Amino acid sequence: MITKDKIDEYIHKIPPAPQALKDTLALLNAGELVKASKVAQTDLALATYLKELVNKPIYGFAKEVTDVSQIFGILGVAGSQQTVYNYMTTLLSPGKWVLFKLNARTFHELQAKLSKRWEQILEHLSIDDKNIFSSITLLPASIIVTEALFCEKIDDVNLLRSAKNLDYNTILTRLCGVGIFDICEQISVKWEMPQEIAQIIQASSGLKPSKDEKINSLGKWMHLLLFYELSQPMFIEAGLNDFIDFQIEYVGDIYEDFAALMEIT
Amino acid sequence: MRPVVKNGIGVFSPQGFLDGNSSRSFLSIDDLAATSALKVDMILVSLKRVVFFNKNGLDAFIKLFVKVRQSNHATVGFCDYDDKKYNTIKIFYKDDINFSLFKTIEIAYLFSSSFKNQNKNILLYSEDKSQRTAMAIELHDNGHNPIIAPTPEEFKEKSSKKEAYDYIIDSTFLGQMGQKIATRVTGNAIIYSISSFLDAEIVNKFNIQYHNNSLNVGFRLFIFDAYKVISMNVHALNFFSKLASSAAEYNATICFVGMTFEKTPEVFKENLEDSGILFYEQMDDILQNKELLSELGASSASNVKSKRVINKKIVTELPRFIDATVATIEMMTNSQAVKQSAQVQNIDITDKTDRIASSIGYYGDIDGMIILVFPKEIAKKACELLIGERTEDMEMILDTLAELVNIVGGKIKTLLSDEGISVNITLPRTYDNVDSLLEVIEGRKGVQVDLSFNNDKFLFFLTR
Repeated sequence: MITKDKIDEYIHKIPPAPQALKDTLALLNAGELVKASKVAQTDLALATYLKELVNKPIYGFAKEVTDVSQIFGILGVAGSQQTVYNYMTTLLSPGKWVLFKLNARTFHELQAKLSKRWEQILEHLSIDDKNIFSSITLLPASIIVTEALFCEKIDDVNLLRSAKNLDYNTILTRLCGVGIFDICEQISVKWEMPQEIAQIIQASSGLKPSKDEKINSLGKWMHLLLFYELSQPMFIEAGLNDFIDFQIEYVGDIYEDFAALMEIT
Repeated sequence: MRPVVKNGIGVFSPQGFLDGNSSRSFLSIDDLAATSALKVDMILVSLKRVVFFNKNGLDAFIKLFVKVRQSNHATVGFCDYDDKKYNTIKIFYKDDINFSLFKTIEIAYLFSSSFKNQNKNILLYSEDKSQRTAMAIELHDNGHNPIIAPTPEEFKEKSSKKEAYDYIIDSTFLGQMGQKIATRVTGNAIIYSISSFLDAEIVNKFNIQYHNNSLNVGFRLFIFDAYKVISMNVHALNFFSKLASSAAEYNATICFVGMTFEKTPEVFKENLEDSGILFYEQMDDILQNKELLSELGASSASNVKSKRVINKKIVTELPRFIDATVATIEMMTNSQAVKQSAQVQNIDITDKTDRIASSIGYYGDIDGMIILVFPKEIAKKACELLIGERTEDMEMILDTLAELVNIVGGKIKTLLSDEGISVNITLPRTYDNVDSLLEVIEGRKGVQVDLSFNNDKFLFFLTR
């Protein structure tokens, strides 16, 4: 069905990060917000994406923000870096979604919701680290990878899943020995993302806890956040609720804290 | 979201957070219709991967339960929860629980008519005395040995000796149970349990697919356990008469055990006897009498030679059958298939060593039976995908084989449907050796296709 060669081919085809993005990220890393925004403006698709994303209701701006330098100014260094990484993830997304009932708008909605709630979580945990702030951006790549690998095998997968409740990550791991989050890690390497991001993403699978206590704790929060969002009607209807297994025991010790923060009653 | 069906139980597995908004999204109108149309004994919602739920979240599924019960009388409820979730549900619905609660899916299986989990020693406890009794009766009816702990202290003491019991049941509640006719298998006889008033509803309660499949795969003795029947009306009489006529085509026997005619006209018994149905007072009159068992056809699964031959229509669709089989096994084993030969003949299995087999029937616009003979190795590879590890456990291998064949059947159904041919598939039957398969199908002519998967020989046989 899906072979290791196919996965290798998929990773091989992933383009490196565009130069404008690399330059933007380097300038953000150096704290040069104004210069970074000028470079970002040269990439029209990035500029359009930034405007669309930050004007979503979850960002809570009263007036429409249209200028990239203004957007970077409002988001700050960490927020801008996170948004640029979010844009990089969208570069992988398909023109047309087949496996999941998503489109560009709903996918961006998921990115925006995850990003804002991750910010809320990090504030709650008193963590102020721009790489950790950006780590959430790689999480939706897991959905894109699943779509890319399984979209041509929908009938086979549906038949298999009608007989056994298997998630896509389990199917892939059992067939090829490589999981969806392993592929995300490889993408992060290709895009020269900070190593911490890949570590948190691996822990957020709920299957590979990190030995580093801080990374592991962040992995738990991210895992629970993912399923909090995938329990929203829009994403259930998109078929995302069970694309990977929710590891309920993994998040047991942070659930009450999470529920209080998200005001779940 | 659709339920995954296994052993007659359909299970929904939502994940994450269940509230009024989200749970409605799990069930589209199509999902509701498809679930209601399923021929299953139970529809359950697993709460294993649900971290939060509120009453509104459960209510959407409870509406589904009502619809399912109205359409097919199946048992409905929730499963896979901890004590906290169990107590929360009890608080939400207080005295208005008309669905069931099974602590685990394995416990639910014990209450289903699946014949795979029989003769188990089961310790059970419920603080509600009537629940304890109801559970014990259901378990006993399903062929188990229930042991009731009347007090929490006794339950604690007994449950500490885990090795003494196959299963321990607590935090479980039986709501309105399904009214389907329970089925179990004893040797080569199939026993159906019927009870109370038998009327026109028998048509809905009786799983005719299962029965036809059983006939097709070689069962020849069907016993209706009728101790609990109070009366029968003319609609039920007609149903059993027709059942007896169709059984006669296969040279099969239908018996009633323990049926009294105090409230049923005696002439009904004569009519049923005229249809070929036999009456016995006690179950042991049949099951303990080997000579009689042999006479009634239950000593072996030997098959009456099918007079039906494979026809042009089936041969025309043969490539689709093979494509479905090959694609499924390739998917399950991640290997490539090579077709070696195909011809019309009696089944010919040259190498019987380390071979297992399975058959599945289909019926509708066209009908017939597919037989697959596997090297154990292929089934083991399929196990790796389905259960995530290699196993030598024969029961598990056969279970996987049944699932694999079920997937083949499902794929065939889809492929034929694309061609405008509508068929349904029966339950698969598995054989742990080739000889027991041959007892059933020897002498039948069909199309045999020899295939090879990574040098493992594999046989496909299509017959009627």
